[in-house]
Amino acid sequence: MEDKAIVVQNLVKQYPRVKAVDNVSFNVDKGEIFGLLGPNGAGKTTTIRILLTLIAPTSGETLIYNLNTAKNSEDVRRMCGYVPQDVSADGDLTAYENVLISAKLYSMPPKERKTRIHDVLNFLELTERANDMVNTFSGGMMRRLEIAQAMVNRPRVLFLDEPSIGLDPNARRIIWGLIKKLRDDFGTTIFMTTHDMGEADVLCDRIGIMNRGHLATLGQPGELKAGVGGDIITLNSSNPNFSQKIKELGYSSISNSPDGHCDLIVNNGETLIPHLLDSLKMSGIQVESVSLKKPTLDDVFLKYTGARIEEGDSFAETRRARRAFTRRTQ
Amino acid sequence: MSALNAARKYFSNAIIIAELELRKIRHDQTQIWVRMVQPALWLAIYGLTMSKLSGISSFIPKNLTYLQFMTPGVLAQSALFVAIFFGINVVWERDLGLLNKLLSTPASRSSIILGKALSAGVRGIFQAIAVIILALILQVHLIMNPLGIIGVFVIIILVSMCFSCMSMAIASLVKTRERMMGIGQVMTMPLFFASSAIYPISIMPSWIKPIAVINPLTYVVDGMRDLLATGNLHSLPLDFLVIVAATILFLILASLGLKKMVS
Repeated sequence: MEDKAIVVQNLVKQYPRVKAVDNVSFNVDKGEIFGLLGPNGAGKTTTIRILLTLIAPTSGETLIYNLNTAKNSEDVRRMCGYVPQDVSADGDLTAYENVLISAKLYSMPPKERKTRIHDVLNFLELTERANDMVNTFSGGMMRRLEIAQAMVNRPRVLFLDEPSIGLDPNARRIIWGLIKKLRDDFGTTIFMTTHDMGEADVLCDRIGIMNRGHLATLGQPGELKAGVGGDIITLNSSNPNFSQKIKELGYSSISNSPDGHCDLIVNNGETLIPHLLDSLKMSGIQVESVSLKKPTLDDVFLKYTGARIEEGDSFAETRRARRAFTRRTQ
Repeated sequence: MSALNAARKYFSNAIIIAELELRKIRHDQTQIWVRMVQPALWLAIYGLTMSKLSGISSFIPKNLTYLQFMTPGVLAQSALFVAIFFGINVVWERDLGLLNKLLSTPASRSSIILGKALSAGVRGIFQAIAVIILALILQVHLIMNPLGIIGVFVIIILVSMCFSCMSMAIASLVKTRERMMGIGQVMTMPLFFASSAIYPISIMPSWIKPIAVINPLTYVVDGMRDLLATGNLHSLPLDFLVIVAATILFLILASLGLKKMVS
């Protein structure tokens, strides 16, 4: 346990009507990018808020660098940085002032302050806009500024709640690059939440999938995808003997519709397709179309929770996400 | 030693939060100017008109003119009317997510509240200066003793802190800007009328008098009236005691409320 950045044990958060976090346990290694993945309302943000001492857990224990977050709340906050899901840079101040106030609140010595602020603004490519009012910034720039605010203190653990929500694809890629660079350059442990499978796949060393307060599964993205069972090859043919022949060749089709449509679960689909097509051709069956689907984290999510990730958003959360999006893109 | 350190950190965090608010004012000064309008109207229109009523001076104690009597009341009013809506800012910041981020810094909850209250105090000072200048233009005879003026500014800062903390405490219960707006409206007038701001307590309906006695604004007005108009400082220590006690009480309530606000 000593070498872990974050330890969460049997964490429960009970709200009057709903159990937001239900007996969740996991660890995060130092220098790891760890992602909590799940739909809105799965309990990800609640978990972050408990770790950051913003709310108290109902039961269970959380440690950050061996400090109990409930008992040493101020020390825990001192070594963490937080970028909330909502827009949290202050639009009525300049970028420099936003970072300055953060630096002061983390009691950075005045001597170091100036160089640190310039360094962090430079790192996040905001130097040119440092003295502009933040309410003139684009969503992507605001996100970078928020990361600058969280990073100026050089936190050991950086919490990112939905870091790319509401950003356009280009801004999103820039943010992803920066998150990786933060870890590589400073060894910062990064704990992030997302409901975007692609984001989790690109960024995270390990992923925990949360659904309705439970941790459904935990592992490296590759492991989790392999656990789904392999690739899916979809074949179409109008030959009446099609499905019969598939069976004779030793493949089992998971769906077998009469109109000559077969889904096969296989390993290494891309190398198998040529052989499969050759064998079918020799049996006199003309295949009209073929497609290969590699498993995604979406499939992983489906397997462990029984639902697609787009489902399950409550009205309030959808509205909130939309509002955040509008604010970022205005 | 560590207690001393903790106290130093507490107050320095509060000052940083106040700095944050004041930097915002520096970028957008319109609100400061706009807020000078209302107290100016009270003094220049209401005050001047009421002075013309022949009977009014017989109710005013200690041979003051009505404008002399009323100027401290307008000072208190200008601070109250702004501070009582301060909670709206906090609800707004909660909705924006600014509050969550502020709470994730090492600054303690009550130092955040204290900082915000301090910034309300500084805003109050700008208005107080405007009211005093206007009173001098209207040739209201005020005691312009530097120590007395400093005392008035201290009271202005305290009353702004007191009612902004009260407002933030209420904000943590009502949680929406619209409701907060309504509650602010409902509260200002009773606080204002049940104080000696624009008429002496002696001529109030008797059922209001007990309310005036527990209304912190009464002591605020009384303290400033002593310093600016009568020069009789007997009750000043009591005035300060009540104002400071009320400020601390609401500071504590607002700090407790802040926790509820984000969970």
